[in-house]
This record gives sequence, structure tokens and C-alpha cells, in this order.
Amino acid sequence: MCKIFRYECKRLLWNKFFVGLLLVVLFYGWQVLNSVTILGVSHTAPFSPWSFGDYLSRMSPLLWIGALLFLTFFTSPKARRTAVLIDATQVVPRKYVLTRCAAALVGTGLLTLACLVEAAVFYGWYFGWFDWGTLLFPALVTLVPLLIFALGSGWILGSIKPWLVYSWMLIPFVCMALPLPKTLGIWDGSFFNEYPLTLGTLDPSFTMPVTVIMMQCILLAAGAALLFFHSGKNRGS
Amino acid sequence: MKTIQLFPLELRRLLQSRLTWLIVLLTVLSPLAGLILYKPASASTMLSIYLANPALAGGVGGGILFGLLTVFELDRAHRSRVAVLMDAVVSPLCMALVRLLALLAAALLTLIVTMLVWFPISWVLIGSVFGGTDYVLAYLLFMGLALPLSILAAASAYQMTRRADLSLVLFAAFAGLSLTIWTDHWQLCWLNPSVWALSDDFSNFRIFRSVAYMRLTWLAALAGIWTLSYLCVRQYGKGLLGSLARNMRQVYRPMISLLLLTCSGTAYAVQPMVDHSNPDESVMSFYDLPYLEGILCSGRTAQVYPNTTAGTVTGRATYQFQNTSGQAQTVAFGIQPGYTISSVQANGANVPFSVGDYQEYNEVMLEVTVPAEEAVELAVEYSGFPQENRNLSTMQGAAEISTEYLCLENAALAPRLLNVLPDEGMYPATVEVILPSSMMVIPFGTNEAEIVAEHEDGTSTWRYEDNGVGGILYAGDYIRQDIQTDGITIQFYYGRKHQAVMEEAGAVNAVKTVVDYCTEHYGPLSFSTGGTLKLIQSRVSGGGYASNGASLLDEADFTAANLRDSSKGAIPGEVMIHELVHQWWGLGNMFDSFDNTNPWSAEGLTVYTTYRIVKELYDEEYAQKHYVEQWQQAVDDYYLNFYVRNTEYLAGLPEEEQLQISNSLAYVRQYCEMPLKILKAQELVGGEEAMDQILNSLFNRELNWSYPYLTYQEFLDACGLTEEDLTLV
Repeated sequence: MCKIFRYECKRLLWNKFFVGLLLVVLFYGWQVLNSVTILGVSHTAPFSPWSFGDYLSRMSPLLWIGALLFLTFFTSPKARRTAVLIDATQVVPRKYVLTRCAAALVGTGLLTLACLVEAAVFYGWYFGWFDWGTLLFPALVTLVPLLIFALGSGWILGSIKPWLVYSWMLIPFVCMALPLPKTLGIWDGSFFNEYPLTLGTLDPSFTMPVTVIMMQCILLAAGAALLFFHSGKNRGS
Repeated sequence: MKTIQLFPLELRRLLQSRLTWLIVLLTVLSPLAGLILYKPASASTMLSIYLANPALAGGVGGGILFGLLTVFELDRAHRSRVAVLMDAVVSPLCMALVRLLALLAAALLTLIVTMLVWFPISWVLIGSVFGGTDYVLAYLLFMGLALPLSILAAASAYQMTRRADLSLVLFAAFAGLSLTIWTDHWQLCWLNPSVWALSDDFSNFRIFRSVAYMRLTWLAALAGIWTLSYLCVRQYGKGLLGSLARNMRQVYRPMISLLLLTCSGTAYAVQPMVDHSNPDESVMSFYDLPYLEGILCSGRTAQVYPNTTAGTVTGRATYQFQNTSGQAQTVAFGIQPGYTISSVQANGANVPFSVGDYQEYNEVMLEVTVPAEEAVELAVEYSGFPQENRNLSTMQGAAEISTEYLCLENAALAPRLLNVLPDEGMYPATVEVILPSSMMVIPFGTNEAEIVAEHEDGTSTWRYEDNGVGGILYAGDYIRQDIQTDGITIQFYYGRKHQAVMEEAGAVNAVKTVVDYCTEHYGPLSFSTGGTLKLIQSRVSGGGYASNGASLLDEADFTAANLRDSSKGAIPGEVMIHELVHQWWGLGNMFDSFDNTNPWSAEGLTVYTTYRIVKELYDEEYAQKHYVEQWQQAVDDYYLNFYVRNTEYLAGLPEEEQLQISNSLAYVRQYCEMPLKILKAQELVGGEEAMDQILNSLFNRELNWSYPYLTYQEFLDACGLTEEDLTLV
């Protein structure tokens, strides 16, 4: 399986798509950091967890699209045609799907890492600020549920109809346009702008209401469950 | 030839696709989003709400949809695995061109359908101020040009990468940047142009020109990039570089691309719409120039010829100097950055002059060497396209010059003298302007313009006398209504198209009410102007100003949309109220020279009085919410801002961001902090009535002519308070 994993990683990452996507994410990220994050949100520093969370919220649509595009490597009609051959092999279906999923996760993780490193470089460059540990929690709570859910739901949709993955890419934009409840504030970016103002203190430390944490946990669980369900249902796509 | 033969076939194939029709349908419906969800034009004029917003939404929606369709169509052969066969039959280069033309034709068809569908809807929604020219130009520029730009961008991405997924990401990021990060850069937001308002009553050619310029700059850029990507179209099984090398053999192809990109880059760099004024608005170095000794200005004239078709101005200004210094002197003028000086003559002979590079407050300095003669008549000839202040680049439209409207302010009217004192305290000026006979000329001040000549080409020469180094001139399709109040005749000028709305809104009564309120509470105005006051409706501008004998009324003060909006509490004309109140607080000798860093200015008392008028005459709840709470919010936001609290980090910011924060200080302190302090003073002195008495006594105080200005200390003394008492915690 390690060999298959390495192969799938190479297939996903060693091509012009990944390089192009990485460049687009980095360019977009630098524009966000230089234009929006630099001013700070909700009276906090640009390097506060709140401003950093706002940056991640703004980057999440692109990361969401990137994660789903990785899935199209496995759900496209071309990939489906190879499924017949793979079915004839002795690979354990669940393991094989989970291996592919792990490869997609690696790709998404690398993109995310690029965003985080870019922010770290930005903070060091402009503010000489290097206390990156404080940003770990907002990064985890913002991105991990989102991207796991993107992979889980995207994989299920892609296995139904490949074009559904492309439609699913529009979800972040729909979320931004709709008046979502506050528990989904991370999805439309409002949480990091509005919640610190309700805490009544200056430069509040990073906290989240239980309902938001619950919602993120539900998303994470749903994403993981969908991945698990899919891996048990069939092999490949 | 092959391209021409294939084009109808490809277009027919495209139009037989159900996806194409779905995209067309969604694009036709996309202006609907401008009525509900996406409203970038924030002004409350009917054309902003029911024309600009739908057209802009149509541009964004249609642009994104056609970008997706482009990627889908270009990838079709590859996706269906017939690309090899296709390449064997038709040259891939030819096919790329044919596909592009077919998509552009489909976009054009969609635009025509959209315009036909939305024409009657817009007409009904906009009502009496609907105009065919505005409609056609708005849809062509705001929506129509977004479609080819998107098609070119998406096609370029696909032809370079030859991957649908990567093309989609590139296109999404390119569109996303325009919709988010680049929104405040009028030249960069290619998909959603910076349009904040369209005028109902006057023309909108200036903002249309600005959008057209931005779109055409991008059209050249994307056409250049597309031509470059055309060279990357894969041929003979070669990769990107192999195909590029082969396709470049015909030299004209890369040359076209280079030419287009150069044109676009040049157009971007030398754009004529916006000047390069210093973004630091606390710097007013032109006002700090020391006056020259031994030279006085005894009068000036200006002949101004606006070209209402091209939106340009040509003029000739003369200045009479008494140079008793016995030596040549360098006289400085502030001129409009968009103007060029064609000649400067002193007593009929050419004299050297130079125009500087530094610009501030929409002016650039012209320096002229005046010869060492006692009486010098200096004649300056100038012409050009007035540029707008770059600090307001996302709110363009103010420099409108057309047969319906023009506004020439200070240096845009004639070079403004900066460093020469007047003779006997006066700068007498005679201004002549030639305009179409349908336009009424209204000097912004106490003077009256009159027609001195009528010409056979349908134009008239207007003349008026003025005093001062600058001056503001309004002209347009105006009507005048005189309003009699206690001792004042208000000459109310408003656009002819606005008559019905003004009558329905009860504008005349609203004006009378404000004047009566101020007269009753603070006392009558002391007029050196024969008891008349001009109130002039300007094109929608987001604010106003006042001077001796004249105040401005923003077009957005009274619109049909405001009349229907019950949430506004039926408050007519808040800008009008503010600018009328300035006749009591802020003109003549009332306040010392403008100082950005000092919170005590005309604005504090004026904003406070506006709040009182809104509260007492119209809607207390509205006043609390839209005045007091907003002042408090702005003050809190400012003082809680991270950079204001931690100034050591401010220096590390890019200059633009530093200035944005420091510029906001002046606004917050004068327009929000000071009204809050006055409100606090009102509580401490015993309420509104007591404060009214104090303000009445200050307005009618006996002036010390050596320093006639109303100071903060005088205000505090009148209230019996100290500065510390009014500290806001």
C-alpha cells in the first residue's frame, strides 16, 4: 500500500496542475495578507488568532476548490474507466480507497501548509512576530473540518456523478451570499470579525462558543464518516 | 478564409448545446441579483439602484458563467477524446480562433437578449428619470464588456495550461481578486467596475468614460495574453514550449501580443482619469507657500470654453500684477492636473514657466517668472481633461462635463493664484464662460451670472463678477424656485428632471423648516449678500459644501427611492440640512483656518445641529441610531484600532495603509468626536434648551476683529466647562 500511496501522491503532486494551483494560492494569499489581514480585524493585531482566522476564512474557498479538484483525479470519467482494471487486482478495496484518500489529504495539506507558511513569512517580514504556536488552534479548528468535509462529501458526490464535484465547488460562494446562522460563521467568514467584538475585552484571547466548536466537530465527523462510508461501499470510484 | 467558413458552423454548434442556452438564460437572469443580493452602487438614486446594480451584477454573473462555458467548450474535444482527429482535419490554431469568435458572438447575442428583456423592466422600475442613453451605455459597459474579458481570460488559461481544472482555478482566482482584494482599485477590478452612483437628473458620461477606459485597458491586456496563449496551442503532439517555438515562427503573432500588452501597460500607467494627489491629506503645502513681497494682484479675468461633447475645458486667464520689487518674481498657481499649459505671456511676451510633478488636493503647481516691470498682465492659456482626486478614485463622476451638467471647482475653472497677496484685500475677478444656450450658469457664491452674448451655433456667453483666487461654477439644465423665509430669499436651483420628485418630497418645505429652525435657535444670518442664499442641487456626490451665500444639496437628498423608504423616517435631505446649517456654523470668520489635527472645526457644531434638527423635527429614534450611535461607534473603532493603540507597529505598514489610518483620524475627530463632546456638554449644562441659548449667544457674540474666530475655549467658557469635563471615556 505504501507503494500505491507514493504512486498516488506522485500522480497528484508531480504535475503542472499542483504547481499552478500552488502558485495561484500563494498569489491570492499574499494579496489577502497585504490588503486585508495587515489592517487586523475587530481591533486586534494582524497577527492575532482572529485576524489569522479571517485570513484562513478568506483562503478557504480556494482550498476547498483545490481539495475537490484533487478528487477529480479519482472521480473523472477517465479514472472510472481504469476502475475495471483495478477491480481485477487483489488490492483490498477499503485500503485502496483510504490510500487514495490519504494522497488527496496530502495534496490538500500541502496547499494548506503553503498558506500557513506564507502567513508566517508575512508576519515575520512585516512585524518581526514569530509566536506561531498561538495560531495553531485557529488553523486546526478552521481548516481541518472544512477540508475533511470537502474530501468526504466531494468523494461521495463524485462517485455519483463526476460533474457534481464541480458544482460542489460553488458551495463556499453560496455560503458567503446566504445569511447563515452564527454557528456557521466560520463558513462565511463572519465569525472572526464579529465574535471578538462580543467578548467585551480588548485583544481577547482566542475562544470559540461551544456551538461553533460543535458545528466544526459535526462537520469533521460527517466528513470522516462520508470518507469511511465511501471506502466501505466500493473501490476506486 | 478557413476561419470565416468554420465560424458559422461553430456558432451553430455552440447554439445547439443545451449548456449554452442554460448559460444564456442564467446570464439574462443575472441582473436580478443586482436588485436583491449584489449592490455595489451604494447611492440611493434610481439609476444606481435599478440600472447600475443590475448591470453590474449582470456583468459579474455573466462574466463568470461565460468564463466557465469557455473552459467547458475549449476542453470539449480533449474531453471527448477527439482532439487528435480534430487536429488532423483543422489546424488547432484556426480552431482556437474560431471557438473564440463563436463564444464572443454568443456573448454578444446574450447581451442583446439581456438588454431587450431588461429594457421594459428598468423603465418601469426607474420611472420618470429613465433615459435610453444611460440604459444602453450602462449595459454595454458595466455588463457587456465583462463577457469578452471573461472569455479571453478563461480561454487564455485553458490554452496555456490545456487543463480544464487548472484553468478553472486560475479563472476563479482572477475573478475572485477582482471581486475582493482589487475592489478598491478602480483600474484593477476588471469584472466589477468601481461604480458607486449614477445620476438621475444629470448625465453620467464621466463615469461611463472611466469604466470604458478600465475595460478597454483590460481588453488590450487580455487580448495580448490570449494571443500569447494562442502561441501555446499544442500542435503536432508537441508540448507547451515546442508548440510555442513553432507558432512563433510567424513573427507577426508574438509582435501582436507584445503590441497589445504594451498598449495595455501604457494605458494603465498614463490613465487620464485620476490624478496623483498626495494621499496624505494632512499635507497642505500649497496653502503654506509664503506670499511674495513687493508684488500684488489687482484683478484677474478668465474666459472658459468647456467642450461639452469631449468633456474637456479650454481657457484663458489673465492676472494683473503690481510688481514694485524691481526684480523678477516667481508666481505660483495651482492648476488642474489634467490640464496642459500651452502658453504664458507677460505683457504680450512669452515668459518661462514650469509645471511641477508634485500634486495635492487635485492641484499641481505652475510656476511663472513675472518680469521686473511695475505693471504686468499675465495671460495663461490652458486646456485639457479634468482629472479627479485619486483619493476618491472609487467615487468617480464628479468631473462631469456635458450639455446637461458641469461643475468646475477652483483650479479646474482657472489657475488659482497661490503666493501673491491681493491689492486692497480683494481679488476682483471677471469670469466668462461659453456654454450651450440650454444650460443655466450658477456661480457658487453671492454673484449672479448673466448672458452677455448669444451665438449662432446655439451657445451663449455668460459673465459674472467674483472675488477671490478660486471660485466654483455650476451649470446645467436647472430650474430655479425662490423660497421666502424670515428675511432670507433662498434661490433654490435643481435639475429639471427632478421637479416632480422635489414637489412630491416637499423639498421647499424642508428647506424652509431648516432655515426657520436655525433662525429661531441661533439667530438670523447677517447678510452681506442682500439677503439671498443659493441652494444648488449638485450631481450625486456623496456630500456637499457651503460658502458665503451658497450651500449645496446632493441629488441623493431627494430621490424617489428615499421617498418610498420608510426606514429613513421620511427625513428629507440630510446633506441639504448639513450644508444649510453651515451658513450658521462655519463660514466667513466663524472658525480659524482648517487644521486637520484640531477636532474643533465647523463640522462639529454643524453635525451636532444637523442631529438636533433631525431629532426634533423628524424622527428621534432615527437620529439616535444614525447620528449618536454612529459617532460613538466611529470614535470607539478609531481609538480601539490596533495601530492607534500600538503606534510602534504603524511605521512598519506600507505608506498607503499608514495614510488611510491617519486620514481617518481627522474625520473621526471632527465629524464624530466633537459632536459627541458637544452632546456631553449639552448634558452638563442642563439640556438642549440651555445649549441652544449658549450657541445663540456664541453666534451673536460681539466680534473681536483682530481675531474674530470662535475658539474651543470660548465655547468651553460659555458652557462653564473645562476641556477635561468633555473628555470621552
